[in-house]
Amino acid sequence: MKKPKQVTDLFIATPGTSIARHIRLINVLILAGLLALLFGFGFSRLSYEFRWEAIWRYRNSMFNGFLMTISISLAALVTSVLLGIFFALARRSRIILLNYFSHVYIEIIRGTPLLVQILIFYYVIANAAGLNNRYVAGVVIMSIFASAYIAEIIRAGIESVGTTQRETARSIGLTKRQTYRHIIFPQVITGVLPPLAGQFASLIKDSSLLSIIAIKEFTMAAREVNANTFSTLESYIPLAIGYLMLTVPISYLMKRLERRFYYET
Amino acid sequence: MKLNLDQMTKRYGDHVVLDAIDLHLSDIRSLVLIGPSGGGKTTMLRILAGLEQPEEGRVRVNDHDLRCSEAELLAYRRRIGMVYQAYNLFPHLNALENIMLPLVQVQGIEKHQAKEEALALLERFNLAEHAFKKPVALSGGQQQRIAICRAVAIKPEVLFFDEPTSALDPEYTSEVLDLIEELREEDMELILVTHEMGFAHKASDYVLFISDGGIVVQGTPAEVFEKTTNPRVQRFFNKVLKYN
Ligand SMILES: Nc1ncnc2c1ncn2[C@@H]1O[C@H](COP(=O)(O)OP(=O)(O)OP(=O)(O)O)[C@@H](O)[C@H]1O
Ligand SMILES: [Mg+2]
Repeated sequence: MKKPKQVTDLFIATPGTSIARHIRLINVLILAGLLALLFGFGFSRLSYEFRWEAIWRYRNSMFNGFLMTISISLAALVTSVLLGIFFALARRSRIILLNYFSHVYIEIIRGTPLLVQILIFYYVIANAAGLNNRYVAGVVIMSIFASAYIAEIIRAGIESVGTTQRETARSIGLTKRQTYRHIIFPQVITGVLPPLAGQFASLIKDSSLLSIIAIKEFTMAAREVNANTFSTLESYIPLAIGYLMLTVPISYLMKRLERRFYYET
Repeated sequence: MKLNLDQMTKRYGDHVVLDAIDLHLSDIRSLVLIGPSGGGKTTMLRILAGLEQPEEGRVRVNDHDLRCSEAELLAYRRRIGMVYQAYNLFPHLNALENIMLPLVQVQGIEKHQAKEEALALLERFNLAEHAFKKPVALSGGQQQRIAICRAVAIKPEVLFFDEPTSALDPEYTSEVLDLIEELREEDMELILVTHEMGFAHKASDYVLFISDGGIVVQGTPAEVFEKTTNPRVQRFFNKVLKYN
């Protein structure tokens, strides 16, 4: 029996079926319209006069900041994955000191704000260690920060490979190292890629805090433009769009990965 | 196979799971362990398969003394095969890769040769069409048969099974038991825990009834299944055979 066509069919999805193309389009358009209204109203109340030409002169510095954010995040991603693997394994290690160290490290990093970490690392640790290059310091800070989260992601991935599989590996006669190499890691990698992509998106956003130690990344560039031109919205709207240009594709990729591995395993 | 257990005791904390077991068997090809749940069958099997060490006493399987270092136990495990109730296969590898993994990584056989041997085994047990499927794409019965292929592929000295059919839908039970029976007829040496009494009767040449941490009755299948007067064993048979 087919239900009679109703207006509500345009807005309410039926569980278990995919939404038809034209219905999707209608809803997207309505949402876009609503958002446009909301922002239009907000800006009309501001009676703000946009002067885009003022910041157009700074496009190069904005673009350099954008590239700097990408480079710092990418560099931090690579090192934080390596650190994360180390801490995840250390967390499972039978060497008590290593285990405790990893535990304390993860708790401290996850339990304090990034802003505080940046300040302490930059003004205390980096200074004491004679680390003068603020860009290197920025990458190190972001790596330390993200590695604590990545360690937990990887640990969860390792633990998701159940005890039965470890038992099977043992009864086949695999050594511990072989079990990690052939059984655990291949499964961890597929399971961990989606949350890792999410972590990368967080890194990109969180790196904006590095502007407080005067690293010329994307946010810092926008702040400078704002300070020079007093064109606040003209500086920060492109900033928001620039971050979205990075995070939206990552989020899309993450969903793709999730779906792919969901069907694979 | 030869089994020699002297005063073997296994504990988990204060809980004595196997209590001073003595067992001396030789020239056994197919040994079946039966008994009530929690009686210690799995524990016994795991000790004989080198996955667990007893706290006291001696255990010998063929010429292997199993009170030894972990490295020696590992070497022993590489010469035997083990099939659990379920989830034997690694989910990220297809059937063929599951069979090849121990051949290549543990037995040190060349990849192309391992592949040939694995394919031949799958062919022989009518599983060739499933060679490139991942475990999720296989029925429980197919998974178990492939797990058995993997255990057989290394040409084990002894093949161990812990209730290989009890996690299966009933319709798949016979295909797995048929395969085990076929291996037995080819003189593969087996130690098997099962609740399938008909199969235990038919496929064993020696039976241990394990309960409350000890071997309550032992003997040939005729002795255990037909002639025993032990009330403990009779009560067990009455229970499990009630609906058969
Ligand atoms: N790892 C363990 N830690 C603590 N106790 C255990 C462990 N493994 C088994 N036991 C205990 O040992 C006893 C025997 O268990 P075992 O698994 O050998 O029984 P079983 O005869 O195989 O039973 P089933 O038919 O239910 O599989 C049980 O009381 C069980 O609770
Ligand atoms: Mg058991």
